[in-house]
Amino acid sequence: MAANGLVRVLPVIDPAAGHCFKEPIKRIHEHQDVSEFLCSKAYVNIMTFLLQLNRSMFPTKLSDGGVQTWPLGSDAVEYSAPVRQLQQLLSRLEAILEEAPPDQGPRRFGNISFRRWYEIVESRVSSLLEECLSPGILKTKSSGPDGPTAEVELKAYFLGSWGSPQRLDYGTGHELSFLAFLGAIWKLNGFPQNTPGVEERAIVLGVIQPYLELVRTIIKTYTLEPAGSHGVWGLDDHSFIPYIFGSAQFAPALSQTDQVPEEGSLPDAPDPNSVAKATAVERERRGNMYFSAIGFIYDVKKGPFWEHSPMLYDISGIRTGWAKINKGMIKMYNAEVLSKFPVVQHFPFGSLFSWDREPNAVPPPSTVHAASGPQSRTREEPPAQHPGPGTKAPWAAGAQANTAGSGTAAPWASGGAARAPILPDTSRLPQGPMAPTRAPWANAQQNSATGGSTAQEEMLTKAPWAK
Amino acid sequence: MSDLDRAIAQLRACRLIPESQVRELCYKARELLIEEGNVVCVDAPVTICGDIHGQFHDLMELFRVGGDVPDTNYLFMGDFVDRGFYSLESFLLLLCLKVRYPDRITLIRGNHESRQITTVYGFYDECIRKYGSANVWRYCCEVFDYLALGALVLGASSGLEPTGPALETTSSTMSLDDSELETEVLNSRGEVTMSTYRPKQPRTTSPLLPSLSQAQPATSSSANPTSSSMPPMRSGWAGTGATSDSSGSYSTGTGAVLCVHGGLSPLIDSVDKIRLIDRKQEVPHEGAMCDLLWSDPDEIDGWGLSPRGAGFLFGGDIVKHFNYKNDLSLIARAHQLVMEGYKEMFDGGIVTVWSAPNYCYRCGNVASILELGEDASNGGTVSRSNGDYNRSNGGAAAAAAVVRSPGRRYRVFEAAAQDTRGMPAKKPVADYFLTQHPYNTHNTPPPTASHRKPMHFCLGPSLA
Repeated sequence: MAANGLVRVLPVIDPAAGHCFKEPIKRIHEHQDVSEFLCSKAYVNIMTFLLQLNRSMFPTKLSDGGVQTWPLGSDAVEYSAPVRQLQQLLSRLEAILEEAPPDQGPRRFGNISFRRWYEIVESRVSSLLEECLSPGILKTKSSGPDGPTAEVELKAYFLGSWGSPQRLDYGTGHELSFLAFLGAIWKLNGFPQNTPGVEERAIVLGVIQPYLELVRTIIKTYTLEPAGSHGVWGLDDHSFIPYIFGSAQFAPALSQTDQVPEEGSLPDAPDPNSVAKATAVERERRGNMYFSAIGFIYDVKKGPFWEHSPMLYDISGIRTGWAKINKGMIKMYNAEVLSKFPVVQHFPFGSLFSWDREPNAVPPPSTVHAASGPQSRTREEPPAQHPGPGTKAPWAAGAQANTAGSGTAAPWASGGAARAPILPDTSRLPQGPMAPTRAPWANAQQNSATGGSTAQEEMLTKAPWAK
Repeated sequence: MSDLDRAIAQLRACRLIPESQVRELCYKARELLIEEGNVVCVDAPVTICGDIHGQFHDLMELFRVGGDVPDTNYLFMGDFVDRGFYSLESFLLLLCLKVRYPDRITLIRGNHESRQITTVYGFYDECIRKYGSANVWRYCCEVFDYLALGALVLGASSGLEPTGPALETTSSTMSLDDSELETEVLNSRGEVTMSTYRPKQPRTTSPLLPSLSQAQPATSSSANPTSSSMPPMRSGWAGTGATSDSSGSYSTGTGAVLCVHGGLSPLIDSVDKIRLIDRKQEVPHEGAMCDLLWSDPDEIDGWGLSPRGAGFLFGGDIVKHFNYKNDLSLIARAHQLVMEGYKEMFDGGIVTVWSAPNYCYRCGNVASILELGEDASNGGTVSRSNGDYNRSNGGAAAAAAVVRSPGRRYRVFEAAAQDTRGMPAKKPVADYFLTQHPYNTHNTPPPTASHRKPMHFCLGPSLA
């Protein structure tokens, strides 16, 4: 599993050993299912793949004592055929934007033509994937007689990567889906075997960055809402992974055998402070994914950076280097994306990202991360259901029974179970937006029931309890 | 200068007040709010405002455009907090003003004035960040529970006296001798950008309507040269709908205006039913109270499921019926971003007022406030109440009556200038970037409250 004892690599499936593909389905229905997820093979695979890609973005120590960095557009990174094919796939999707120009009619916020764009992509998904993935990957057969091909799993993650046509929003859940799409190709041996890091870098710079750029174009074209935005109180309205890979780009250089450093920066990396300086951002966004993401914030937001992006501003005050920021970003991703019900509830599980329990799953690392994060804060909170004398929340009893009941079954989930009854959903990254506030308690059936007729084009707050 | 005035001055400067003062303020506010009914009655003239969402500098712009408290009588329809950077400063200032001038400012509850919503959408994080503990959040949430659910504006005038000067580009429906000004849209400099007129109603239309007085066109505009140092031009006091200083405005009774954050509920067919709710609680996930704060009007018939997952969608037929039954001329609500700042629907039966310009720093929308003038026809006294079942007019009379909508003056404004805001000198360190535990270390105890240090950086740009 480990190439050199230091880097865990996402394992490739062995077709000879027999494998059954499965139509991916949603498994996370209740808040406590998130604890299950954090012990699943899928979770371990996702984190493994993320860390593997992350490591590859650290600058490399050369044998002559020099350092090779990996900026965007680096000539030193060669794109393999599968990477180039994926780039072509992204170009195809971008071209479809022309076929679905933004609606000019009256609207509240999100543009309903995004639905048209998505419909076209959906209707062509088979041919798009056929064109851009080798048949050996896409049509990998199940070992059983009637099992589906790998296509059924790839399709699900691919189509989940572009935002919600119903809600007209885009968020980290969609970003996660694209990561899983690439991870699925990796597991199917879709990328060439190479020296550790080589193919990973090509994936990040050659596929993930173009994906992020396409997504930004889509967001701007159709004014997609940030899924689950907390306004200024979130890291970013839409994305997370560019902050991980981008901070790695500026971290100290590694040799093949070095551990990933926890502190320090590449000697000539810009000061993290410079995110608040427009000129520095303009300069750095061309080569660095972190600044590229921040550049997009500058493009769409008006106002002082420290005011509209206080979390990124705070992080820019870290004095212990980009490696420290990188480590914090990964912890935060784990807690704020992978451990959040509103985000991961949409993730479907098949054979490549499996709901089966990881045999070696230690009580989920996420409890630690989540606890070190915002969840620990909620312990300071008063019991929300007893806000004052004579006050009662009618739904409280139901919610309490719901969450506390099975929460106690999992010993490691005690942290979550303990706070679940206090606030039925303290998720910090709920779907749907900056604007319409979505009810946190709403369920999926309701959404789909209205999805067709009711344009969600308003910037409304959705209830965080919404599924 | 009293402590309260000092707190107001400090908050107006966007500087927070100490936790002990917040506690005291919230206690006083609760004592005051507990006396209010679920539906507060407010006499016109009044200026109605929509969502603020912690956009403090834009709230200051709102006061600049609409006039200051207590000169202007304000009604805020909720969603003071979440998403913006200054929810604390904004809400605490409004609360101070409420305690200081209880009869000149009305605050009703929005769906964001809730424990659960504020823990998700930012206000909780803001309290932790700015005060270092959840205490202030807790005090504020206790106030939220006591906020009224709606307001009924009584005694609004049906006509407006024209404001001068109009821009060359002003669009307008034809102004005829026999018409009265119904709506007027002003930009933040007080210039009229749009006016609409309606035919004057014959005296005999309704036995309920007091007789119309003779109209006199406004003549004040030429006497008021625009000056940058002057407040926006208006022919009356700020917030009076520019009619109170006129001797000859149209004065007709109108139906009452119901103000509520979200909208209607299938469980509520009369204003009286709102009065029966036990409101002093966290906003429930369903039921009448939840719907009032969460629902949205939509181009549908009847009721529909809300994509928000709470509340309902309701169509024009529902609005018409509700207004007719309750003798309302208009429902004013907030809750949804509208790019133009306000949006009337269903033949003017309902209006959305949105008061957070360039929402979330990126939406590019303008904001608005809605001024309703005072009906001066009967000495400013309110001629009737609304929502009571046993009104004097029987069914037949009500059927004959055409409830006239109030004259509506929208003041539209843009986001406040931002170049004057200094950068905070200190940056608090975010949690994930603090801990010493390497990734994958298990069984690490979570940081306790004692690890948190109060963060004072955001006590306002002036400290920076």
